[in-house]
Amino acid sequence: MISTGNDIVALDLTDIKRTEQGRFYTQILSNSEQKLYQQVSCPQLPFNQYVWLLWSAKESAYKYLKRLTPELVFSPTQIIIQSLKAPNRSGNDVNVTLWESTCDGEFYSGTIVHLSSTLYFRSKTSASWIATVVDQNESFKNIYWGVKSITENSVESQSAEARYFLIDKLRPYFNDLHFKKSLIGYPVIFNNGNELNIPVSIAHHGNYVSYSFVLDQAKLLSDNCEVDWTA
Amino acid sequence: MDRTTILTELKKVLVPYTENKTMLDGITEETDLIKDLKINSANLVDIIIDAESQYNIEIDFDSAEKMYLIGNCIDIISDKLNQSA
Repeated sequence: MISTGNDIVALDLTDIKRTEQGRFYTQILSNSEQKLYQQVSCPQLPFNQYVWLLWSAKESAYKYLKRLTPELVFSPTQIIIQSLKAPNRSGNDVNVTLWESTCDGEFYSGTIVHLSSTLYFRSKTSASWIATVVDQNESFKNIYWGVKSITENSVESQSAEARYFLIDKLRPYFNDLHFKKSLIGYPVIFNNGNELNIPVSIAHHGNYVSYSFVLDQAKLLSDNCEVDWTA
Repeated sequence: MDRTTILTELKKVLVPYTENKTMLDGITEETDLIKDLKINSANLVDIIIDAESQYNIEIDFDSAEKMYLIGNCIDIISDKLNQSA
C-alpha cells in the first residue's frame, strides 16, 4: 500500500521565545535531534525554525504512517529525524508547485525513522512558512507537492482552500473529484463516485495550505488514460 | 480537584487555540481536540505547556502523546495532581 504525507507550519503563528524554551522543544525533539542541530551546518536555520522544520517532518511522517498503521498515535519524540542535509538541489525530482515564483528548487533533505520504517523527507523554508513532504523512496518519483498562501485564514477556509488547491492539480486527469475523510481521518478522493487509489495529504496553518499526492503520470499517459485508478 | 473543576480550568487553557467557541462551551470527555475543536496539531505542545502552568504540574512525554481526547487530558491532569499532592 502506498501512502503520502505533508505538513506546513505558518511561522507567524509560532512563538519564537517559547519554541526556544527547553520545556517546549523537548516535547518535540529527542536527545539525538538536539545534538543533530549542532552537527548540521545550517547557519541560515535559526534554532526555532529547526524545531518547526523537524515538527513538520515528524507530522508528515505521522500522516504517511497513520494510513498504513491506523492505531498509530502521534508522539513527536518517537519519530526520529536521523539525518538532515542543508539545502541542496536533490529535491529537483519533486514536482513542487510553489506560490513563490522565486523558488530556487533547493530543499532540506534527510531521513526519518519510526520503529522499523524509514522515510525520506524534503523540506522548504521561507520567511513565512516551513513545509515538508515525505516518501518511502529517496528519489521522490511520482510525488507531487504544492504550497500556496491564502487570504482568508479561518479554519474552515483553510481546509476548503487546501482541498481546492489539490483538486485543481488533479483536475487535468479526473473530471468529477470530491473528498471524503476516512474513518481514521485521512482524506480520500473520489472520481465519479469511485474511490481513487491515489493517496493524498493536505495541510493548512494560518495563511498557508499545502498538498501532496502520489501519481504515476507515465503510467497514466501510457495507458491512454484507460488505467483503472479506482481503489 | 474533581473532574468537573479540571474540565472548567481546561476550557480556559483551550480558548486561545480554537475558533469553535460554541463547541468548546459544550465539550465532553469524548471531545477530540483536533477533530472536534479543530485545534491545529502545531498547538498541541502549547496546550501541554499551558496546562502545566495552569495546574502547576509537569506532563511527561509519555503522557503528552495521549492528550487527544478531553477525557484523556483530565485523566492525566488528575493523575499528576494526585502525584504532587
